[in-house]
Formats: sequence, C-alpha cells, structure tokens
Amino acid sequence: MSLVDKLMGIYSALVYIFLYLPIVVVIIFSFNESRTLGKFTGFSLEWYQVLIKDKDIWIAFYNSLNIAILTTLVSLTLGTLAAYGMIRFDMGGKGAIDSLLYIPIIIPEIAEALSLLLFYKFAGYRLGWLTVLLGHIAFDISFVYVVVRARLAGFDRSLEEASLTLGANEVQTFLKVTLPLSMPGIVAAALIAFTLSFDDFIKTIFTTGPGFQTLPLIIWSQSARGGVGPEINALTTVIMAISMALAYIYSKLTIRS
Amino acid sequence: MGMAEPLIDFIREHRSLTILLILGPALIYLAIYFFAPFLITILYSIGFIGRRGVITWKVTIEFYRQAFRGVYLKVFYNSIVLAAITTLGTLVMSYPLAYYLALKAPKKWKNTLVIGIIVPYWVSFLLRTYALMNILTMLGQMFTYEAVVIGMVYDYLPFMILPLYASLEKLDKSLLEASYTLGASPLKTFLKVTLPLSKPGIASGTILVFVPAIGEFVVPVMLGGASVPTIGVITWNLFLKFHNWWRGAALSILYIAVVLAALIIYVKKVGELEI
Repeated sequence: MSLVDKLMGIYSALVYIFLYLPIVVVIIFSFNESRTLGKFTGFSLEWYQVLIKDKDIWIAFYNSLNIAILTTLVSLTLGTLAAYGMIRFDMGGKGAIDSLLYIPIIIPEIAEALSLLLFYKFAGYRLGWLTVLLGHIAFDISFVYVVVRARLAGFDRSLEEASLTLGANEVQTFLKVTLPLSMPGIVAAALIAFTLSFDDFIKTIFTTGPGFQTLPLIIWSQSARGGVGPEINALTTVIMAISMALAYIYSKLTIRS
Repeated sequence: MGMAEPLIDFIREHRSLTILLILGPALIYLAIYFFAPFLITILYSIGFIGRRGVITWKVTIEFYRQAFRGVYLKVFYNSIVLAAITTLGTLVMSYPLAYYLALKAPKKWKNTLVIGIIVPYWVSFLLRTYALMNILTMLGQMFTYEAVVIGMVYDYLPFMILPLYASLEKLDKSLLEASYTLGASPLKTFLKVTLPLSKPGIASGTILVFVPAIGEFVVPVMLGGASVPTIGVITWNLFLKFHNWWRGAALSILYIAVVLAALIIYVKKVGELEI
C-alpha cells in the first residue's frame, strides 16, 4: 500500500467518525445519570423509565406506528402494481408516465408539504390523522415504485413466459412467479416506506392538526431552539435504533455483489 | 400452445383495461394528493383563491411582486450561498472516501463499509440534527453560522457519498492500468481518467445535495436559531406562523421553478439522474 492509499484510508476513517460521533454521543448521554451535558457521571436507565411512564410518548408512538404501517401497506400495493405495469406492458407515453411516478422523489419535501396543506385547507379537510396519512402515502408510492421497478427489471422474463405457456393464467403467474421473484425488492421497498413514514417530520408538521402528535413532532417541540436533554436523548436513541436496524436489514437484502 | 391462446386473446382484447387497472390506482392517487395540491398552490399564488378558500375569479401578480422584494431576494441569495457551501463541503469530504471505498478498500470490508454509509443515511434529518446539537452545545457553538454549515454538511454527506461511490465503482479498472502502463503518473491518471469518468456521480451528488439544501428548514432553525434565515425558514414562517398563504405559495412556486430549472439543465447535460 502506498502512502497516498494509507492517507486516504485515514481520511476515510475520519469521515466515518464524523458520521457516527453525534449518534454515539446521543446514545451515551441517554444513559447518563446526571442531567448535565458533557459529563458522564454514571450509567442509569432513569430517562428511559421517564419515557415509559409518559402517556403522551405512548400515544405519539402509537400514532407514528399506525401511520407508518398503513402508509407502508397502501404505498406498497399501489407502487408495486405500478412498477409491474410499467415493466410488463407497453403503452403510449410510457416515458411521461414514468416521470409522473418519479417526480415526488425529486421535489423537495417542504414544497410538497405546504402544497398539501393548501390543498387540505381548500378542500375543507379536517387536519389530523387522515391528512397526515394521505400525505405520507403520496410520498412513499414513488419510492416503492422505483425500488420494485429496479428489481423487476433485473429478473429473467422467460420464467413468466414459461408459466404462461404451461397453462397458468396471468393472475396465477403474477402470484406464483412474479411476486415471489420480486420479493427482495418488495421487502426492501417496504422497509424504505416504513422508515420514511415513521420518522417523517416536515410533511407531518405541515399536515397535522391539533391533538395529533407523532414521535418526531415531540422531539421537535422539545428541542427546537436549543433545548437538549436526557429524555429527548433517550427518545432519539429509540427512534434511531429502529431506523438503523431497518436500514441494516435493507442493506443486507440489497447489497450482494 | 393452442391451450393458452384464448387467454392471451382475452388479455389482448382488454389490454387497455388491464393496464388501466394496474397503473390507475397509483396515478390517480398521485393526481389527487400530489399534483392537484401543486395546482392549488399555483392558484393561491396568483390570488385566484382568496380568504377562506373562496375562488375570487381574479388573477394578480402582486404576491410574486412581494416575493421579489429586497428582503426575500436576500434570503434567496443567502439560501443559495449556504446550499453552495454545503455542496462543496460534502464533495470535498466525500470524494476521497468514495474513491477509497470503490477502488482501494479491502474486498472483505467493502460491504460493511458501504452499509456503514447507508445506515446513518436512513436516520431522518431531525434526529441527526438533534444528535449534533448535543456536541455543538458542549462546544458552545450553537446558533452560529458555522454550526449551521456543520449541520448541513453532516446531514447531506451520505447524499453525496453514495452517488460518487456508485459512479467510481462502475469505473473500468483496466483503463487505470492502461494509463499507468502507458507511463502516466498517479496524479495525471486521476486528473485525466478517474475524475472525468466520475463526473456523472459528481453531478448526481450535486443535484441531490444542492436542490434540497436551498429549501432546508430543520438545520437552520435547530442549529442557527433565528440567525440564519433561509428560504425554507421564511416559507415556514409565512405558512405556519403568519398564515400568509398567498405570499408563501408564490415563494414556494419560485423555489420549485428553481429546482425544476436545475433538474432540466442537469438532465440535458448529464442524462438520467441516479438515486
């Protein structure tokens, strides 16, 4: 290994430290006995006990989970069907349809969130659970579509043709051949959809109404303008652990070669 | 073969219907909850929709004129400067790392190292920015411009590393060997072969960082307090604080116009976006 390579290795290690240091600090101080930041006085589960006893946290947790699961189910169904249709059928204006399905990923979330708010106001929706859910689904369909389409594009189409030739109908072929073969892509898409929804903040705060809180909204309201505290560290640790675990499973599923 | 024919005939006859049933649900959903909202935003921004959502049947450019007032132009300018600094910062930090991952890292570690980038990438900005707040508070660096820049670079870093890595990974290594064999120095090989070939990755990363960074809201508010007003912060205030939806809508449409312009230039010059 040359000197340049070694330096590059060290540099890379420093970037990894930069990426992980804040996360590690949050985790460490969520177990800190003392409230004071920067001084670790001893190991304690006190802040997690505070979380467990907090009724608002449980309600917000239930809300986050409820929205994320429903979002995942709906966007997975719509996005997978769309991906299948785009890969397996030829039609006029395919490029344009592809762009339409793709655009929500590219448009910055804040622009999308406030246009949703205006839409809800104009159409007379009552802001709350339903408006948050509808917004999350709109965003996630595109991610599911892109991930599943990539998977479908990658597998051998002759297997489906064989199934059709051997007498299975289109629906049987879809259920018995296409769906199992695209499963890794679908699972990966489900993980992305769930995580995007579970820790979403911007779209949620624009489209929620009085009385409907999710976990990210609690972190925001407690930490906006500089308030750092051990309880929020504990809550952040819990949510980060969920996202990072799902990301790890996703990576294991998709990175092979 | 004869057995399958009636079925195929049936599908051919109802082909349009089949396609409609498969693609329809997603497209209709997006039409209602993604595209219609943007149309409504445009209608607000030209004053076609007035107070309490009543249609005024009038069109005005007044709200756009307000959006072009000095205060907002300065905010737009500040946002673009911050986004440019962020893009440059992430690029400088990412390139050597992406290069190392793609071309130098030991094979058995490679997957683990790539996963090491993807895992924090999945944690939302809100949580990662909050995580950074702990360290910045300890260092006494909160509510400064530097804090905002550090936060932006920190949050957007994986958006730059991943596309750079993807393009360097695809690079044909025999080209590098050819360059060495023909007597070019490592530096010359890098400048004449590697760097030009990784341009699509640089362009993808730049778009993925620069475009959302212009409208960034979470980082400037959490780490900058009120000291770094960006287009995201101003729009947020217009909407959620002052309920001035018309001016907010005009600002937002201008922002989307900037985003689309950047994307069109990108697609024309570089080709498809890699995510």
